[in-house]
Amino acid sequence: MKNWFTHNLALKLIALGLAVFTWIYVNGELMK
Amino acid sequence: MFFDLWWLLKSAIKPSFEIIVLWIVFYQILVFFEGTRAFHVLKGIIYLLLAFLASQLLGFDTLNWLLTKFFGISIIALLVIFQQELRQGLARLGQQHLFNPILEEAEMVALIEEMTAAIYKLSRKKNGCLMAIERETKLKTYIESGLLLDSKVSSEMLQSIFNATSPLHDGGVVIRGERIVAAACLFPLSENPNFSKIVGTRHRAALGLTEQTDAIVIMVSEETCEVSVAVEGRFLPVVNEERLVSILKDLLITVNPKKKK
Repeated sequence: MKNWFTHNLALKLIALGLAVFTWIYVNGELMK
Repeated sequence: MFFDLWWLLKSAIKPSFEIIVLWIVFYQILVFFEGTRAFHVLKGIIYLLLAFLASQLLGFDTLNWLLTKFFGISIIALLVIFQQELRQGLARLGQQHLFNPILEEAEMVALIEEMTAAIYKLSRKKNGCLMAIERETKLKTYIESGLLLDSKVSSEMLQSIFNATSPLHDGGVVIRGERIVAAACLFPLSENPNFSKIVGTRHRAALGLTEQTDAIVIMVSEETCEVSVAVEGRFLPVVNEERLVSILKDLLITVNPKKKK
């Protein structure tokens, strides 16, 4: 297995962005 | 001091773990839908989700109210729209590797040699063939039009598939990594007006797929027994076996610049 990080990089970054965004949003809702 | 450090670690590890789990889940969802028509719907939903979050952060109450109502109703709509994908996804759960396979150089060379051997044996026997090698763009739509195989690539297997008496010889095979994912797949036909009208359907299918995706298509003409490689909507001249090996190595191995020194 080579280039694990660069393979499908765009999708990985979008997924990471969504994950961080969701976590912050849900955490904010839970804190209310 | 020790308790402070432990508290700090605990408060950092928990969110990181949760984010990593969410990341894997989102990535799997995106990979699952990539290359299908449903991917565009998913993109639309992501835009709406971003608009919803932005409206909450910026305090746009009317927009927020509308989007909240819309998401409430859209859950049912999504279940209907993605009915087929959800069914397939649940069926595949647990079968899929976490991330797509990427081959080492030695594995890729072995794969190229197996394919080349099969192609020239088929050409000598005057059997036509059509093979698509998947790269970044997923060929899921075309895989689903054929018969799923999931077999290791071998010269014998490819020859058996394209044997004129085989029920699978019509259509193309799709190769992902070192596996033949599917056979008898239907590829889109090229509508390029510059292309000769007398050229066969197999040529048009080879070109059509490479016009729409970044796949590499290798084909053998049943009439002339000539071997051709199509990439990015054009044919590359193949004069002999060595040339085919060199073209495939250039296209499949040197894509990774770090490996080439």
